[in-house]
Amino acid sequence: MRFLTVLIALALVAAACVESTEDTTTTTAAPEPVTTQAETPDTTSAPEPLPDPPAEIVIGNPIALSGGNEAGSLLSQVPSYDLWAADVNAAGGIYVAEFDASIPVRIERVDDTSDVGTAVQLTQQMLESGEIDFYFPPWGTAFNFAIAPIVSEFQMPTAGCTVGSSELVENAAEYPYFYTLLNQAPAQAAGLVELLQDVGVTSVAIIHHDDLFGIEFSAAVEPALAEVEIEVAFKETYPLGTADFTQILRGAQDSGADAFLAFSYPPETFPMTGQAIGIEFSPDLFMAAVGVAFPAYRDAFGPAAEGVVGTGVWNPNVDIEDAQGFFDRHVAMHDAEPDRWASAACYATGQVLQQAIEAAGTLDPVKVKEAMDTIEFDTIIGTFSFDNQVNPVYPGQIGQWQDGEFEIISHTADRTAEPIFPKGAWPPPPEE
Amino acid sequence: MLETAAEIIVTGLILGGAYALIAVGLSLQYGVGRVLNVAHGEFIILAALATWSLYTVFGINPVLSIAIIAPALFALGYVLDRTMFNYLRKTSENDDHFEGRSLLASFGLLFVIQNLMLLTWGALLRGYSFLNTSVTIFGNRYGANRLLALGVSVGVSVIFYLYIKRTRTGKAIRAAAESPDMASTLGVNKKRVMAMCFGLGAGLAGLAGVLYSMMFDVQGSRGIELTVVAIVVVVFGGLGSITGSLIGGFALGLVISLVNWFDPSLSLVAFYLIFILVLLIRPSGIMGRQIHAD
Amino acid sequence: MLISTLRAEKKERRALIYIVVTIVLLASAPSFISESLVITMITVLMYATLTLSWTMFSGPTRLVSLATAVLFGVGVYVSAVLRGSMPIELIVLIGGALAFILALAIGVLTLRLKGVYFILFTFGVTALVGNATLWWETHVTGTVGRHIEGASNSVVYLLMVIIFSLALLAAFILRNSAAGMALRGIGENQTAAEHIGIHVTRLKVLIFAGTAIFMGATGAVMATRWRYVDPSLAFDPLISFLPVVMAIFGGISRLYGPILGTIVLIVLREFLITEYPYVYLLIFGVTLIGVVLWLPGGLVEQAEKLIFRLKIEWIKLKMRWKRWRTA
Repeated sequence: MRFLTVLIALALVAAACVESTEDTTTTTAAPEPVTTQAETPDTTSAPEPLPDPPAEIVIGNPIALSGGNEAGSLLSQVPSYDLWAADVNAAGGIYVAEFDASIPVRIERVDDTSDVGTAVQLTQQMLESGEIDFYFPPWGTAFNFAIAPIVSEFQMPTAGCTVGSSELVENAAEYPYFYTLLNQAPAQAAGLVELLQDVGVTSVAIIHHDDLFGIEFSAAVEPALAEVEIEVAFKETYPLGTADFTQILRGAQDSGADAFLAFSYPPETFPMTGQAIGIEFSPDLFMAAVGVAFPAYRDAFGPAAEGVVGTGVWNPNVDIEDAQGFFDRHVAMHDAEPDRWASAACYATGQVLQQAIEAAGTLDPVKVKEAMDTIEFDTIIGTFSFDNQVNPVYPGQIGQWQDGEFEIISHTADRTAEPIFPKGAWPPPPEE
Repeated sequence: MLETAAEIIVTGLILGGAYALIAVGLSLQYGVGRVLNVAHGEFIILAALATWSLYTVFGINPVLSIAIIAPALFALGYVLDRTMFNYLRKTSENDDHFEGRSLLASFGLLFVIQNLMLLTWGALLRGYSFLNTSVTIFGNRYGANRLLALGVSVGVSVIFYLYIKRTRTGKAIRAAAESPDMASTLGVNKKRVMAMCFGLGAGLAGLAGVLYSMMFDVQGSRGIELTVVAIVVVVFGGLGSITGSLIGGFALGLVISLVNWFDPSLSLVAFYLIFILVLLIRPSGIMGRQIHAD
Repeated sequence: MLISTLRAEKKERRALIYIVVTIVLLASAPSFISESLVITMITVLMYATLTLSWTMFSGPTRLVSLATAVLFGVGVYVSAVLRGSMPIELIVLIGGALAFILALAIGVLTLRLKGVYFILFTFGVTALVGNATLWWETHVTGTVGRHIEGASNSVVYLLMVIIFSLALLAAFILRNSAAGMALRGIGENQTAAEHIGIHVTRLKVLIFAGTAIFMGATGAVMATRWRYVDPSLAFDPLISFLPVVMAIFGGISRLYGPILGTIVLIVLREFLITEYPYVYLLIFGVTLIGVVLWLPGGLVEQAEKLIFRLKIEWIKLKMRWKRWRTA
């Protein structure tokens, strides 16, 4: 009885050993028939056998799927991440010289419920567990702010695409592993003021919300306006979550300013526009910051969106390879257009990671980070190298809806169309 | 100068009308049923989102939707009271116990309804354009939809006031509010009155929601701020006084309009400050019964 | 008070032993559980402390306080402002102290009012302080988000274990003391309590303020975990609501009830976030309604009923065994 048991046990153990050797041979055999675009020739490790590549590259991504922020994350960020992963895998994966193999990627996504504490916890746990190879950050400035020190502590290179914060950019050295891909308020403010000067605006009415983004944008714009002698005829701030802007809009209207500038978030931009139409407040230039660049804005307001100015900008017509391709694939995969601002940056997040891994030839995050600091990237938001962990380029800063497309109108050199100025009166409402 | 004053007053009345309408439903539910329904705002948003759907998908005029949505919400409220709150009433030891438990239950209701709305309508703000033309009053332009909402608020307030004061059912409601047990000894069917009042409160929330959707964009998680507005107005007007909520709503609207003209950032601070001050200085509100301190 | 507790009945001594064992286990846990679990434990300890503190006052008096968020938030902001200029232990103490003072003020102002007004007032204060802070940060200091130097997981964990342990001991002492009994008396019938000679208002205010210390201290610690704060995060109303849900769910009649409720709900939440992210509020709401309607005593009551029934079965089994043996 006992002898038989031992025999069976030995047999099982032997079978297990055989299986595992079979496994290793199959994995090294599989991911081969792919073109190796790697620039690193295999000079160093000729006679030694290469280590076994992992079956996939896991990218951890805690992000808002509920709780309020998912309106933003599901529009600009999640679809771009997923499209990039699909594109990479369709081409066979990321080539890693260390294994001389192309490895597919998989995004491990969890819901941070729009709670910073949860995002922090999930990030720490993911990085601690060692179960992820790389990391994509959550949506929103506050959230990126919160995880920047953590990814730096764990030495995981991370690029943020929905983060706008001068403080984070200026103190980048404190968070050596955090990179910013999106263009920031100072560049946009400069673009805006230059535009205003160019079209001949003499006075502006400014409103913004009581939050970091609005405050910083305003702080960047106002001194610049003073320098070119554009008068600030009206300035008011409002609490986040305000639903009724009619009173504040009337104030702007009464000031008689040529241009109306709102440094706002989408939940404010949309109602604000509708209410401005309602009281027939139609300045020569109507600008709102975040939200105008969404295809939903154009769709919601139809002909009224024509001529409205907003921050951004990326559009499929920019002179960058694969810009139109990205647009078409996004529509095909998600049945929705990418937005005209951050979607492209979020896709570029993946491109940056891929190119850094390919350059480093390894999945070691520290080496990948070294590559990130030095190499030049080819992405759908342009060709660039990080300058102190900040991306210094973006196709455009300020855009305007013209004939169904969000054209770049800032900085003459970047323009994809000439600005429409004055905007003219709001068209009559579509139906009744 | 006069134009500015006119602007503040008209805006204040529009705002106040919205406040009054939002608050009166809650006042009814607490005044009679003793349920502090923190899910009240969710009912309003539910009605608003339903109106949006009816308008954008089926093209139904929002004014007509009132006839569909208000009764639907009345029915919802009636059923909820007959089942959930009635059960709580039966199984609670005393009034305070019931108030605490029904408060918690309505919290649960808040989470449930909000999540269902988010699942159905998503997280995007939903808005539509209705009567978004401008009307000039005393030199200032206002959206026609807002003036319509004001008209309805005033109309409903007046009708409601007369209903409560003059009709038999109205008097029964007032009796039940003053003293539910006394009322039932006098032949008033307590269970039915409670359910009807809760239903009526929900129906008014429905009406408020339809009007709200005409003026503002809505989204599933915006209910809580409306509940807070309702609570503040109800306390301001006097817990338990339905007319107090109506008057208090308009009064508060005028005050906030003034603060908004001065500095919009302060409007929320002012709002809660008034709330705190009322609770400290005169908890019974403008028109409530005098509260005994313990 | 402690000495009389030590001489107390066997049941209470047993409870004290359980408490000490729990504290020892918690303190030594990092050496035998994974780092990932430690991170989760930090969240559990945060809510367990808040829930326990809330229950200490609101449980016996039946006065639902929604001030948890503002008392917690005060601690968060103390940390945000003072971090870096003094050791973290001191910051935690100051956070607790400031919360104490605020709670004292709230208590003195409103604990003489009828129940529902207290609830509303605590909610109003939270909203007022939150919005006032936002206004201040926007217009006066010009910062809305504040970046806080983080503390390592082990430090945060240790601090939370200490705060939680103190709260647990305080809850135990209060429960078995004259003050605790008086509080329960107030909850049952305040007028009668007054007639016996209890200084009702003074007691309510003191206990309310005392429990606030733990909330403020917790806030000060958690700020170093979040590393980024702004008024909407620090004074989030959910921080007031969740402890209430957890306490009711767990059951407030026993000391361990709120803790049990916290653990179950946090585990449930973690599960839902990863598997069913879109419906976790729904599940929470249904749970709350179910508990309020059908399990008014919470999990604790169900657990005790179950234990009671198991004990009876065990006794029956023993008797049957004896009969079989002697037959």
